[in-house]
Amino acid sequence: MKYSYIVPRKKSPITPELQIVFTFFLITLVMIFLTYAFLLYKDYTFKKDKTTIIAHTKELKANIKQMQNHIRFIQKQKAFSEKVFTQNMVLKDSIANLFDLVPQRITLSRAKLLKNGLILYGITPSKDVYNFMLQAPLRSIFHKTYTSFYPAKNGWFMFVSTNYMDAVQNEELDNED
Amino acid sequence: MKIKISRQHLYVSFISLLLLLFVFVFSFGVLIPKGKEYRESRLELRKENMEFQKYQNFHDETLGTLKNLQSKNRHIISAFDAVFNLDRFEKQHKVFFSSFNISKISRAKDEEGFASYEVNTSSQISSPKNFYNFLDALNKSDWIIGVNFPINFKRDGEMIKSSFIMKVYVNNKDKNSTASKSVAK
Repeated sequence: MKYSYIVPRKKSPITPELQIVFTFFLITLVMIFLTYAFLLYKDYTFKKDKTTIIAHTKELKANIKQMQNHIRFIQKQKAFSEKVFTQNMVLKDSIANLFDLVPQRITLSRAKLLKNGLILYGITPSKDVYNFMLQAPLRSIFHKTYTSFYPAKNGWFMFVSTNYMDAVQNEELDNED
Repeated sequence: MKIKISRQHLYVSFISLLLLLFVFVFSFGVLIPKGKEYRESRLELRKENMEFQKYQNFHDETLGTLKNLQSKNRHIISAFDAVFNLDRFEKQHKVFFSSFNISKISRAKDEEGFASYEVNTSSQISSPKNFYNFLDALNKSDWIIGVNFPINFKRDGEMIKSSFIMKVYVNNKDKNSTASKSVAK
């Protein structure tokens, strides 16, 4: 038995209007939570990146310090080696000057180069030759000059010339080096 | 006038109100502070990045200086690292002398942080020029060597006998431990 010609509409508590409202609610909530998730993720990556950068910076600082030490050490090596090389060259010039200083008429038998002095042993035809030709230039270089003469068998004179520089000037020369 | 509101509309209004409340509370309570934190973190990261870049540039600059210094002073660096070898030294430098003898090395006082060893040398030369050439060659040798006073020259017929002390300088492994291994790369 039918009482109506139309099929009754099924009634649902969720009406189309309500569906729109809920969709709007859902979109709002999703957007809010997505924003929050984005912020959380970014915060996490920032923290991670910051830790990595700090670690790298620390490593760089240590490397820089080590390299600076190395540079300082090489510079120290360079300065020291140059000092040694200069001393060798100064020594070479000193010996060359010494041999140039001795006139042909005087023959050296022995020379002792000290840090602050020079001892020469040799033979001279006369004391005057020694005094004029060797002692004079030696006196212009050294502060103290002592000479002893011994007669040789051939009538010439053997001599020992001891020459010293003052310690103060010697130190000054060392400092200049 | 009586306003008729259905129960359904009442529920919807209530839920909407709840959502609005939630949105406000969540935004002001959580989202905005988090956003502020995000901005601060981003700024901090940028700062750290800039500082890192600064150090990176300085690091590159220092590395360049070091490499340049190492390549320019390769000979000196390797000379300070080299262990003195009597036989090799004698072989390399006996050409300057008619006879050349060097005695064993003995440790001397450190100089400016470098270890030094003394080597006694006696030799015979035909002319002082040979000694000058020897001094020139010392500055180019495989070691850092200085000739020290006293230096003795003694006439021996046509030859000159010479005796002197040489000082060999090497890296002090104890004092320069951090930088002593300065191998030229």
